[in-house]
Amino acid sequence: MSTDSTHRIWVLVKHNALIRWRDPGQIISYLVLPMAIMVMFKPLYQQALNRFAGDDQGALQVVTGPLIMFSIFAMAVVGHSVFLERQWRTWDRLRTSAASTGELLIGKTVPVFVILLAQQLILLTFGCLITGLSFPSSFALVLLVLVIWATVLIAIGTALATLIRSMAELGMLTDIGSMVVAALGGALVPVSMMPGWLQLLAHFSPGYWGLEMLRAAFRGDAGAVVAPAAILLAAGLAAGLFTVRRLARGWGRSALV
Amino acid sequence: MLDAIGLTKRYGAIQALDGLTLHVGDGEIVGLVGHNGAGKTTLVSILAGLNKPDGGSVHVDGIDPVRARDRIGIAPQHIALYQSITVREHLRLFGGLAGLRGRALAAVITELVEALRLTEFVDRRAGLLSGGQQRRAQAAVALVHRPRLLLLDEPTAGADPETRQALLDVVKDRARDGASIIYTTHYLPELTELRATIAVAQQGRIIARGTSAELLDRLAGEVLLRFDVGEYRTATHDPSATLVDLVSRARYPIRGVELRTPTLDDLYRSLAAADVH
Repeated sequence: MSTDSTHRIWVLVKHNALIRWRDPGQIISYLVLPMAIMVMFKPLYQQALNRFAGDDQGALQVVTGPLIMFSIFAMAVVGHSVFLERQWRTWDRLRTSAASTGELLIGKTVPVFVILLAQQLILLTFGCLITGLSFPSSFALVLLVLVIWATVLIAIGTALATLIRSMAELGMLTDIGSMVVAALGGALVPVSMMPGWLQLLAHFSPGYWGLEMLRAAFRGDAGAVVAPAAILLAAGLAAGLFTVRRLARGWGRSALV
Repeated sequence: MLDAIGLTKRYGAIQALDGLTLHVGDGEIVGLVGHNGAGKTTLVSILAGLNKPDGGSVHVDGIDPVRARDRIGIAPQHIALYQSITVREHLRLFGGLAGLRGRALAAVITELVEALRLTEFVDRRAGLLSGGQQRRAQAAVALVHRPRLLLLDEPTAGADPETRQALLDVVKDRARDGASIIYTTHYLPELTELRATIAVAQQGRIIARGTSAELLDRLAGEVLLRFDVGEYRTATHDPSATLVDLVSRARYPIRGVELRTPTLDDLYRSLAAADVH
């Protein structure tokens, strides 16, 4: 990567971080709400699950469930950041600059990636502290899993943002979609307690694979991380390729001129 | 500087460009005029590297516009600003993307802020600016990296007189410094003030090109008579006699009449009408 390219990416990262900084409402709510849920639902999950599934299972559910659910909700931050460029006609404006599509995408996604990762790390730490769940023995493995999860969320969120036509549509899609994907994945109720047909359907939810991956990392079971990580990365790659293709051409006929 | 040869572009059933050819030299201002749908905006989007033509070739400084983006500045007809950041932050962003940094960037920003009279609102968020202020901010973004080719797509549309004058002054300055400028507008007097070469676009082609004087020569000797019941243009050496003759032959009462030499607007309408028919 040339010095010029690095400089342009740095300029774009600073710019996109500034835009996020000026509009922090979404991410604050996606931090505060899961924290409140963890606190309020801790007794319920611990009583319900510890009895059937063993010690720590209730705490694990109350920490990882909201974490995965609200990290999926946080795709709205990604969508919002991409959609604003369309609404303000600034994406095509950026395309007329010396920056390449790759540089524009890196500059746009890095700040959001940092936000998502920070959200997950904060929720994980908070959850462990209030539930008494042991901190994972392999922090590096958990961090790797969170990096993979944040990357996949950004890829899918950006792809969805290129398809929607309004902020209301984005809100609807992220609210309904996130709730369904997370719940189906086992964020509210463990998949093993769902009816058979839902257990089957759960395998099509990224939330399911996200939870599987995160819980395996919590156990320090690197082998069990591989399959869900591979499935998620494949989905993320497909979404990423779609996004690059769509954004490189702009949104149909130029929105700028 | 700019060579566009035989450009074609189709959007579904609409032939937006139909073999359009345009050359713009260093320091030249070309005023691109034409009805809505004449192909002006499509041409600008191709020159800016946002769209690819279906056919023909276009070169900026001898290379493809996509590779020459650091030499091109564009002020689009629609406002395209980040509503939550200030004008200064816009200039830092686009100056930074063009490779400017530190004192050099600060100096360029100061110069532009003065030239476009942005001082009092340069640190205000774009979303809080008036339409005219946003126009000036948008022009500043187009100019911040001192582009060799400047594409101004109706930059004064809806602008107040102060904004319009500030923009025209800066455009003249940049042309004097050697920048090539394509200026699309519906306000032909602006092109006269800019001493621009005028290119008339119609149905995706350039149908006439020249200075305003050269184009008006096409109507040399003609006068325009506008009655309350219609318009009449004719070549005559004695406008008064022609007027008396027409009035005397009128079949209905005439309550108002205007007699004048044709303007650029009249010429443009006549060229466009001739091409359509």
